[in-house]
Amino acid sequence: MDKTLLSLRGIRPAMLVIGMLSLLQALAIIGQALSLAEAVTLLFQGGTAAEVLRPLITFVAAWVARHTAVWSQRLCAGRFAERTGETLRSKLAERLFERGPAHAARTGSGRLVTLTLDGVDRFRSYLELTVIRTTDMALVTALLLIAVYALDVASGLILTFTMPVLIGFFVLLGYAARRMADRQYRSFQVLAQHFTDVLRGLATLKFLGRSRDYAGVVEQVSDRYRTATMRTLRVAFLSSFALDFFSTLSVAFVAVGLGLRLISGGIGLEAALAVLLLAPEYFLPVRLFGSDYHASLDGKEAWTAIREVIGETRAPDAFVGTSQADGRSDAGRQVEDVPDRQPDHAARSATSAPWLELSDIHVSGEGGMSRLSGITASLGHDHRKIGIVGMSGAGKTTLLNVLGGFLEPESGQVRIAGLPLAGDAKRKWQQELSLIPQRPYLFAASIADNVRFYEPEASDEQVLQALADVGLAELVARLPHGIHERIGDGGRALSGGQAHRIALARALVGRRSVWLLDEPTAHLDVETELELKETMLKLFEGRRVFLATHRLHWMKEMDWIWVLKDGRLAEAGTHEQLLARQGVYRSMMEAAMEEVELGEEDHR
Amino acid sequence: MRKTIDNRTKGWILPHLREHPWRFLAASLAGLLAVACAGALLFTSGYLISRSALRPENVLMVYVPIVLVRAFGFSKAVVQYLERLVSHDTVLRILSRMRVRLYRIIEPQALQLHTRHRTGDLLGLLAEDIEQLQNVFLRLILPATTAVLIYGAGIIALGLMDVRFALWMALYCGFWFFTVPVFALFVSRRMRISSKAQRSLAYRELTDGIFGMSDWLLSGRMASFLGDFSKRQAKMAEADRRLRRSEWRIQWLTQCLIGGAIVLLTLWAAGQSASGAFPPEWIAACALIGFALLDALAKAGETVMRATDYRDSVRRLQAVEQAGHQHPEPEHPEPAPVSGDGAAQPAAASGLRLINVSYRHPGSEAWTLEDINLEVPAGSRVALLGRSGAGKTTLLHLIQGELTPDRGLIETGGTPVSRMRSDQMRPFAVLNQQPYLFDTTLSGNIRLGRPDATDEEVREAAEMAGLGGLLATLPDGLDTRVREAGERFSGGERQRIALARVLLQDRPIVLLDEPTVGLDPLTERALLSTMFAALRGRTLLWITHHLIGMEHMDQIVFLDRGRIVMQGTHQQLMREQERYRRLYALDRI
Repeated sequence: MDKTLLSLRGIRPAMLVIGMLSLLQALAIIGQALSLAEAVTLLFQGGTAAEVLRPLITFVAAWVARHTAVWSQRLCAGRFAERTGETLRSKLAERLFERGPAHAARTGSGRLVTLTLDGVDRFRSYLELTVIRTTDMALVTALLLIAVYALDVASGLILTFTMPVLIGFFVLLGYAARRMADRQYRSFQVLAQHFTDVLRGLATLKFLGRSRDYAGVVEQVSDRYRTATMRTLRVAFLSSFALDFFSTLSVAFVAVGLGLRLISGGIGLEAALAVLLLAPEYFLPVRLFGSDYHASLDGKEAWTAIREVIGETRAPDAFVGTSQADGRSDAGRQVEDVPDRQPDHAARSATSAPWLELSDIHVSGEGGMSRLSGITASLGHDHRKIGIVGMSGAGKTTLLNVLGGFLEPESGQVRIAGLPLAGDAKRKWQQELSLIPQRPYLFAASIADNVRFYEPEASDEQVLQALADVGLAELVARLPHGIHERIGDGGRALSGGQAHRIALARALVGRRSVWLLDEPTAHLDVETELELKETMLKLFEGRRVFLATHRLHWMKEMDWIWVLKDGRLAEAGTHEQLLARQGVYRSMMEAAMEEVELGEEDHR
Repeated sequence: MRKTIDNRTKGWILPHLREHPWRFLAASLAGLLAVACAGALLFTSGYLISRSALRPENVLMVYVPIVLVRAFGFSKAVVQYLERLVSHDTVLRILSRMRVRLYRIIEPQALQLHTRHRTGDLLGLLAEDIEQLQNVFLRLILPATTAVLIYGAGIIALGLMDVRFALWMALYCGFWFFTVPVFALFVSRRMRISSKAQRSLAYRELTDGIFGMSDWLLSGRMASFLGDFSKRQAKMAEADRRLRRSEWRIQWLTQCLIGGAIVLLTLWAAGQSASGAFPPEWIAACALIGFALLDALAKAGETVMRATDYRDSVRRLQAVEQAGHQHPEPEHPEPAPVSGDGAAQPAAASGLRLINVSYRHPGSEAWTLEDINLEVPAGSRVALLGRSGAGKTTLLHLIQGELTPDRGLIETGGTPVSRMRSDQMRPFAVLNQQPYLFDTTLSGNIRLGRPDATDEEVREAAEMAGLGGLLATLPDGLDTRVREAGERFSGGERQRIALARVLLQDRPIVLLDEPTVGLDPLTERALLSTMFAALRGRTLLWITHHLIGMEHMDQIVFLDRGRIVMQGTHQQLMREQERYRRLYALDRI
């Protein structure tokens, strides 16, 4: 059994109860075997129905008791597993929020959703099966063996010696199958994924004019996949074959042994029958364990993934929600904060400290590469619109995440008005912020609820005003349900430009004074880009703006520009200063101004 | 489980079974045989010890049962092993056919599917659905068939000895092991629906939570989200719990009834033996065989409970199949009266001409495109701009012959594209926004452009697409597997790989569908110059979202709401159109 499971809260009491039920089950099985053996023997010796009434009633009672014990085990393990699943799910959601959007995006947001819902369910099945099967295998098997010894030592010996052989072969063959699968893992994976791969690339195949003949390829690869799978299965099924084979063979040997000893008078019929009834039951737990073992492997994998997200550094007790209470007090504090919130809290603290300071920020990415290194910069109070430029991969988005407090830098510090970005200061800062990512997320809700996301209390008038400000009035007027039209997943689809406008309206209604924008227009067509830029520039008035982009036309409108290159802050200054410097910015501008080289003298 | 089937779509289960009747039968019979062996083992064991208890003079008297016990003990596992192999092999064969069938359904509507579901997730989902269906065979149909066979065989065997008792047992087992589970399934359907509804709500909420996480954090509503989610998931768990509890109750009941059946069987055997119908040794044998057979029957009931689990998969597959019927492939009225077989058309210069082309989507009132006239002379370059929804993509699909115009004509080299029957004959190559890289080697991906290309040609195309520098850094060069390289290929590199494909394909007209969107300006410029240099001399129709490189276009066309609103060369438009000058300024700083 997986040792990490023992750290789950409540597993010990649950296992204790399940263990007791295992014992009860074992006793019931013994009772059932003895009473049926007695009844059959009586009947065999010509007894009447009235005579066998008592043993038969005992048999039925023992039978029902046994299955009631099994049922109770399920209920008990089920309740424990369900409770654990629920806490894990809440814990997962909480941890994901603690780790922030940057982590979720890197791990794969869709994968995390599936893990939290389906993954936890799979783990739940794994958990309840493991708990029941392990206790059964230990207790029921042992008790039944004792009973067999008490009835007939020779049969007991056969059963005892079969067990290690059977388990040995099960493990050995399972291991062989595993090794075989591992060896072909790569080619197997390609075959298994081939169909999905082809379907996903179907449009490309179509463009290449190859899509029709690919039906043949699909069939061919599918058949190769079948052959490969069957090759593996032939070995994989051997391990459960071993369980089956040795257990039935062992029962057969017990039966033959009993028969021979009956002839020689070494044992009575009743005892022999009881042993014959007990022998298959003795192997049942281990066979169930074997068949469930493979079925619950994906639950085990889910468990590993869950622990990875929750983080093993935490004490095991932390799995169980202490945080419900935290959440509530959190909300309380935020409510208190609302009254003194003002449009620009940074302006109030007119201390001598710079408005915002970055000191030696370092963020590392995967594979030891650094995504940001040694970023040191400060902003004065009059730097209201800050442009962040750089090529793809220069670290623009990472820097925005650090500024928003979504990503803790490994070293270095962000200070706002002299205060490090942590605790209350961070919460306050985030209440001033609005982050508009490259592709803003639209919630599966009405337009109105999307827009008043930060201020759920906002009136329809406020929403309409904001929508008019971002230039969506016309669109909304055309919709059948106006601002109550549903958008997002399952709702009306909006274009990229429209989604951006919704996000802007959201920031407006939320009265956010600091906007972080990530590539607001790069993927839009030039006409939409121009319109959106005009709208945005108007809205930028009276706000602080951090705008990360590789579209350099924005830079003329910025008060201050940070130029990123390979994760470092290459230059900082105003547009004019940077142009005068003949540095990275200048060369980027020049490259952008150049015409595309076509080398086409002979074209026309 | 398949109630509503359009008569044009056949089912996804039975027709496939019929393709492999013998294998399926073999698998079911092997399943029956395995259970029969288990039963026979217990039966002969019971007989053996009862017989032995009568103390026969000689061991040879029980020699036959001894041999049989050993044989059955040996063969049960072997038969079971064979059964599993045969059934899996059959199912994998069926799956292979299903994949081809699904592929044939999806292939004609590939492009429309992509526009309807932007992500392509649907396709992944469908592939998974097929995998799901294998469980219909392995966990539902085969065990159920086996159970019915056991039931039938058992009842017949009893009937040979005692018709009345056989009828009783038929009713008893039939009722408890088949009727009751089906009834329970019917009763619990409400619970199932509510459980599914709760689950999809939880999915939606959590998706909103994780994808919109930064908004939750910034709005200070994180605690309320977590609170709501934990309530939602508790509801989901509750619905699940009720369902599971009801299943466990049924299983308990079934198990208890097996006990009853064993008692009945034993008493009946005793009665038979008392009346002299068979020897007393059979009493123990009958009691024991009940254990093996009844357990197998009870399993059938459990499989019935799972019958509705695969409904969604079947429904999704049927929906796609029906959509295929609703969006039929453009009809090709008659074999194209092109001189020669068309495939042999030279890759020589050919232009493109659109005359009064109008198109509207089926069931829509407004024209998606209206009266489009466009002349693209051979070897010239045309840029096509417009907002999202202006009709650019539709125009592209019309040109490719994926859609047929409602009015007007699109022709190339004097032949309407709608007459060109196969993809092979059409003179177009396409470079689109997100070219897909297949899970094979780099050269395998490039060779898709022309399967019979030599290694040298592949290498040449890669060099022309500007992949030379990248190849030099890869230890395996062109034999590098694309997926193992993972996300190492940047957007620009992916486009270059796709460009190499298009070069190898060597078609006279190249349609560029925003290949540079999302690339940074330097990468974009570099890619554009490679692209234009490599495609020199070919006819280009370039859908683009901004104005880099417009100086080199022979014609620039702006679409808006299905109509051409601006048209001309760069110089003309700069001179005449204020709007164009303002747009151009965005790209010129």
